[in-house]
Amino acid sequence: MIHPLAIRSYTTTSAAGIGKAATARALRDGLSALVPNDLAWAPLDCWIGRVRAAESVALPESLSAFDCRNNRLALLALEQDGFVDAVGAARQRHGAGRVALFLGTSTSGILSTELAYQRRDPATGSLPPAFRYDTMHSLDATTEFVRRVLGLTGPAMTVSTACSSSAKVFCLAERFIRLGLADAAVVGGVDSLCHTTLYGFTALQLVAPDVCRPFDTARRGITIGEAAGFALLERGDGALRLIGYGETSDAHHMSTPHPEGDGARRAMLDALERARIGPGEIDYVNLHGTGTPANDRAEGRAVHDVFGASAPCSSTKGVTGHTLGAAGITEAAISLLSLEQEFMPGSPTTREVDPDTQCTIALHGEARPLARVMSNSFGFGGNNCALVFGKTS
Amino acid sequence: MRVAIEAVGVLAPGFPDWGNARDVLAGRAPFVDAPLAPCAPASLAPSERRRSSATVRLALAAAEQAMKQTAIAPQDMALVFASAEAAAVITHQLCEALAGTREVSPTQFHNSVHNAPSGYYSIAMKAKLGATSLCRGPWSFAAGLLGAAAQALGDDVPVLFVCYDSPLPAPLCESLPVIEATAIAIMISPLPAAATLASWEIAIETREGAGAWPAWMPQAWHANASARGFDALAMLVAETGASATLPLSPELAVRVARC
Repeated sequence: MIHPLAIRSYTTTSAAGIGKAATARALRDGLSALVPNDLAWAPLDCWIGRVRAAESVALPESLSAFDCRNNRLALLALEQDGFVDAVGAARQRHGAGRVALFLGTSTSGILSTELAYQRRDPATGSLPPAFRYDTMHSLDATTEFVRRVLGLTGPAMTVSTACSSSAKVFCLAERFIRLGLADAAVVGGVDSLCHTTLYGFTALQLVAPDVCRPFDTARRGITIGEAAGFALLERGDGALRLIGYGETSDAHHMSTPHPEGDGARRAMLDALERARIGPGEIDYVNLHGTGTPANDRAEGRAVHDVFGASAPCSSTKGVTGHTLGAAGITEAAISLLSLEQEFMPGSPTTREVDPDTQCTIALHGEARPLARVMSNSFGFGGNNCALVFGKTS
Repeated sequence: MRVAIEAVGVLAPGFPDWGNARDVLAGRAPFVDAPLAPCAPASLAPSERRRSSATVRLALAAAEQAMKQTAIAPQDMALVFASAEAAAVITHQLCEALAGTREVSPTQFHNSVHNAPSGYYSIAMKAKLGATSLCRGPWSFAAGLLGAAAQALGDDVPVLFVCYDSPLPAPLCESLPVIEATAIAIMISPLPAAATLASWEIAIETREGAGAWPAWMPQAWHANASARGFDALAMLVAETGASATLPLSPELAVRVARC
């Protein structure tokens, strides 16, 4: 059984807002931050969730080798909500070597390599001399960058399981702390807009031509967004806690979910079992809810199997976009905000819930007491993760 | 953390399987370099074998070797796969396409994710427990081993740990010069059983020194994060009390001690 972990600090940055207050405002107002694609470098007929402010972030001179879109976004997010100071205090309490770091990403700084491929030496085919693979693109580049910014020397690693990446980091942190490999952990995830995901999901015909509309009768796919978020986890009591998690594989298909949501269902049941609670004790489910016909149908069935029609659910992808490898931490942060503020977010871009949907989708947010919230994240490879957060009053 | 090692799979030039590697690691035979034959994992249907990347086939072929030596069913194992990068050949092909026509193959796109090998494996084996795909650059082996051992003990579940590197094409290999394929699969159990090869005590410690490579190992493998694992595998043939140190970060290392 898991040891619940206190969440000492957390922060989230996406198109919906830079930091917690702006994000909470967007959720409360039911505003979508998604816009028609205006990326000059990827002229596709779709919508996006873009964090414009991240584009002009300057990295510290000593870390200039790490300069890429993903790390600029990471730094912008780290600087919000007093997060760096909270980590500094944990570093003081435990020692830098006892604070672990687990970050999720699906594409890290791949945009740097994509742009470098546009500027290859015509004679040799070499990439431009200024290009650095290890610090600008490698899947580990953002983890190493964040580790240096935060001054941590504990065990660090990157989880890359597509769209469940930055949910699974919570599971690693809990195990490492329970087994005494660390006393605290920074978890999180960063994924930024790039050609690979924009054109790749378009090739799979999974990108909506207009804004994504999760669980809508007329849903036509995802809207890709970018985001970064972090949480500081520690042993002990706290107002907000990680109380359960579940991880499963569909073992069905690389890019299509099990039609009945079998893996998703097992992940949710695993999370409830570890939290030692029944389905009736979950007050709100933040769905993965991407907006593709197959994903939403499967998740709806799985949620219904576990909760019946009773648990209120919503997808906040219409607010933030699908931030892929950062979706787990983004929605973990939204779940924590909803617990803190006693406000269940709605699904603001959804107009008419698909009558085929078996779970109960809340279109509009509402103030209500919340004690325990589940957050779902599912990814390519049939990779599923469900997290349960609780609040102690 | 004390874990039991149940089975091993190895693929590298000169190492078609664990038996071969074991003799070299035990000092009973010299290392003899030989090209690694293309991997054709039996668990993949022919159509999937064609659709998958060389990285997927490498990881699955190493995993299959380990699976053949254990009575534990693949459906009863959690998965921890680790690699410094996703399939670089696919990354290269995608980046070329994106710098040109921008016509991307949907199959190539889903094969580009870092967890494609664990995804293909779970589908092939109907393995439905959790699957984690880890990366820590040149220290990916130690990070993966740590993650796998933590999962085995933390969840009281056998874990299949696979770490692999497949060659990078030009021009990416100018930045990360992986030119040979190497892969190691290790079946980790929380408790020893009759068939256990050895028990390991795994701990994090402060790193000292640069971390020398074994003398027998071709220099070309030094770019491969998974090749660090051969020092760990030597702890399956070493005497009780022997230990190996695997770099985990600039400051830390993972000590693997034979119990």
